[in-house]
This record gives sequence, C-alpha cells and structure tokens, in this order.
Amino acid sequence: MLLTLLAVGFVVFAAFEIIPGDAAVSRLGSNATAESVAALRTEMGLDRPFFVRFFSWLFGCLHGDFGTSYSYGMPVAGMIVEKLPITLCMSLISMLLCIGVSVPVALFAAKHAGSRTDRGLRSANQLVMAVPAFFLGILLSWLFGMVLKWFTPGGYVSYKKDFGAFLAYLILPSVAVALPKCAMSVKLLRSAILAEADKEYVRTAYSRGLSTMEVLYRHVLKNAMIPLVTFWGMAVADMIAGSIVVEQVFNIPGLGRILLNSIAKRDYPVVEAVILLIALVVLLMNLLVDTLYRLLDPRLKEEQG
Amino acid sequence: MLLEVKDFGIEFHDHDRPERVVEDLDFSLDTGEILGIVGESGSGKSLTGLAIAGLLPRKKLKKEGAILFEGQDVLRMERSALRELQGDEICMIFQEPMTALNPTMRIGRQVEEALRIHHKEMDAAARKERALLWLRNVELEDAERVYDSYPHELSGGMRQRVCIAAAMVGGPKLLIADEPTTALDVTVQAQIIRLLQRINEEEKVAILFVSHDLSLIRQISDNVLVMQKGRLVEKGPVEKIFSEPREEYTKKLIAAIPRVNLDE
Repeated sequence: MLLTLLAVGFVVFAAFEIIPGDAAVSRLGSNATAESVAALRTEMGLDRPFFVRFFSWLFGCLHGDFGTSYSYGMPVAGMIVEKLPITLCMSLISMLLCIGVSVPVALFAAKHAGSRTDRGLRSANQLVMAVPAFFLGILLSWLFGMVLKWFTPGGYVSYKKDFGAFLAYLILPSVAVALPKCAMSVKLLRSAILAEADKEYVRTAYSRGLSTMEVLYRHVLKNAMIPLVTFWGMAVADMIAGSIVVEQVFNIPGLGRILLNSIAKRDYPVVEAVILLIALVVLLMNLLVDTLYRLLDPRLKEEQG
Repeated sequence: MLLEVKDFGIEFHDHDRPERVVEDLDFSLDTGEILGIVGESGSGKSLTGLAIAGLLPRKKLKKEGAILFEGQDVLRMERSALRELQGDEICMIFQEPMTALNPTMRIGRQVEEALRIHHKEMDAAARKERALLWLRNVELEDAERVYDSYPHELSGGMRQRVCIAAAMVGGPKLLIADEPTTALDVTVQAQIIRLLQRINEEEKVAILFVSHDLSLIRQISDNVLVMQKGRLVEKGPVEKIFSEPREEYTKKLIAAIPRVNLDE
C-alpha cells in the first residue's frame, strides 16, 4: 500500500516536470524579468535537480509536512484539512444515496422482472447512466434553482457556520454525483438478484412458506450484494473524482476547487497532496471491500484462514 | 385420507405448442404411509412432487385436476393459505443438498426458519432448543457446532440431514423427498434411507419418496407408483409390484436392477 502511494507521488511529481509551465512564472506574471524569475526559482528551490526535490518533498511528507502552497502561501496540510470535510461529506452523501436508492429499486425491478414497469425502469436507467455527473449537475441546478427557485444557484454555507444548511446545499450536487452510479448499481444488482433467484436454496426457502418479499430480503439480497461490493468500492473512488468536477458546477469550495486552481498555477505541493489523499482513499476503499467480502461471504473466510 | 390427487395434469405453455408433461394422474396417500414414485427422468414424477408442495410457478403452465391435502385443493387455494401449509404441514427435501441451503446463512437460522414463520409464539431460545433437538434427531454429531456452521463447512450427507431437520422442525404431516439420496454416495444413501424410515415411524409423517431407483423405492416404500412419460403405468403395494408386475414397463424396470446389491 505504501509502495502504491510512493509510485503515485512519483508519477505526479514527474508529470509536473514534463508539462510546460512554471510555478515561478505563474506567480510573477508573464511580464516578469528573467532575473526576478530566476531569483524566485532559487528561493522556491525549483532550481535544484528533480530527484533532490522529489526526495526532500518525500522526506517532508513522512514527517507530516506537505510543504507550503506557492499561490496561497499557506501550509498545504492546513488547507486540505479545511476543505476535506466538504468533499468527504459530499462523497459520503452520494454513496449513501447510491446504495440507499439502488437496493430497493433493484429489488422492486427484480420482483417485477419482465413487466412494463421493469422495462420502463430499465430504459430510464440506461438514460441516466449515459449522462455525465457534471451535466446532471447543471440540469439539477437549472431545474431546482432557476425554475423551481428552491435554492440560490451557486449558494453555499460553510459547515463551520451552520452544519444543517451546509448539508442542504450539498444534497443536489451529491444527487448529481450519485445518480449515474445509482443507475449502474440498479442494473447490476437487478441482474444479480435474478441470477440468485434461480438457485435452489430459493426454492427451499419458498418450500418453508416464505413470501416472495421475505425470500428476497432474507435470502437473495445478501447473496446478490456480494458481487456489488466491488462495484461500490470502485464507485467511491469515482464519486470523489466526480465530486471535484461537480463542485465547480455548484460553486462549492471543496477539494476540487483548490485542486483545479493549483493545477492551473502549477502549485505542485497542493496538487501532490490532494492526489496522494485521493489515492489513499481509493486504497482504503479496496481494503474495506476486502473486509466486507469476508463479512458477507462466509466461504471466503475459510480460504483466507 | 391425507392426500388425494385426482385427474391431475400439467401442461407447459412456454413454447409455441403446449406440452403435456403429466396426464390423468390419480393416487392417494394415507397418514404415516410411505409412497414411492418411480420413473425415468422426464416421467413427471418430480413435477408432481413440486406441485403437491405448491412450488410450481403459476405462470407458463396449466394445472388440471385437483390435489387435495386434508380436503383442501392445493392448486386452487389462496397464496397466503398455501404458505400457511408450506413448511408447516407440507415440507420438502431436494436432490442437491449442496445447493438447497443458502450459502451465506448459518445452519441454525435455516433450520429455525419454518418455526419463525409458522410458530410466531416461540421465542428465540425455544426455537433454538427445537432446532438443536432436530439436528440431534437426524443423527448429527455435535449439533451445537453444526447449528453455528455455514453449509460449506459440512459434507453432503450432513447437509441432507440438515435439510431433513429443517423440513421436520415444524412437525409436518407430509414430507416430499425428491431424489433425496441421488447426489450422495452409497453408504450415506443407506443411512439417509434408514433415517427417513425411523422418522416416519416416530413422527407418523407421511413420505412421498420420488426416485428413479427402484431398489431404493423397494427398501423404503409401502406402496409404489410407476410413472412413464407423464402417465401412471401401475400402482400397488410395493411387494406385489415386485412379485407380480403387470405392465411391460414395470417388468423392464425390475429387470434393470443390478442383481448384486452391495447394501445388503
């Protein structure tokens, strides 16, 4: 896991080496003289060789020091700690929405498989799946903000000021992030449920006098969710990435805002730290997925000892 | 009479042309009796068993005649009334004990399930006590460990015993056994047969034993039905069928039994 993080850090570092643009130039503006740029480069330590910079940065990271932002002039760690709850909350709400909505919808679709409602649901699903999250964000913002006037588009309340209002402003962007994943998860779960429903233990369950709903909830659902756990694990990573884009649409000052700004300004300590953080979340999700697998499927516990 | 099957037929409607898989079936089963149904695959014997247990799908096939369980027609009763019978009065065990149990649910919960549905007055402790009693009664050693196990931790024979326990836990009047020993090896097969005989004597539960194996049917049944291509060929007391088979098909089946019987 540490190796993966190291590799991610290196790749991002190398990417900044390759892409054109210079932090010193972008800070001083294009009118700056060559001398002043060179002086600033020395001050920022940009004149040192690539590997020296990489290892000094790495050394700093290991001590919890992610450097200082070039453009904001603040310690990166502090900036991230302040913005992290916003993006994390949004991803969490999206995830809960995704699972909370897709499980009952998939059960309903599977129960009525082949009916007209099921076919309608499937077409709607297909449509939602094809729409990118940011476009959905624009649509939602237009519908609820401009047409229905339920909220001010672009409005936002800091979580420090009023947590309730903060959550309320996060709901629409979360819906925008969650919906395409939710549609995908309904599709996968529906077919997983139908596949499980053909198995013999289901017939045994019916022979004990269980109703269809009881059979689905008590027996089929848990088994059908096993393959979905992988998908949900991957979806979390996607949702964080999706949040970064959707934050722009809804004008929410989360991690996405600082990440995009920092890329534009070649503020690489910030970019490095944000990307490392996202990589860490993805890795943690993988770990969680493995643990969940073992919890859900007793047959795996055996094999892993 | 516990069970009366009258003019029973099944017609499949999932292809272009309807297909008759069971036709004009008449038989009855008394309390505590063991009735064997024998026939090759495709003879309609398993479908008949499933129909009595109320497990045939309602769509895509047509059912004719009547299946009277204590005078009530299983084919025409309300779903909720049918569910009252299932797991409580009529129970079923299947051919594949490997797949007939839910792989992600502990044995204990599966054995108790019929109680949970039909005996809501029982509390968790009473259910567990009843489940353990039955796990011991089907001759499982270390019933407590089995109770907390998952299906994959048990052998095929143990799983079929678990299935029998789960079926018997509610004290049914009729147990339908659909090829219950076919997937098991010969020694385990003999043990399961003896177990079913003992349970039949002790609990006075009627057993409908469906099998393609005439020698098994001979060991366990009081009466036997011989089926071929969805039709009843011959029925009668098991010894009579063996000593004086009337129909050609029955004679052929008897002749096909290997002479050397390793069980005995």
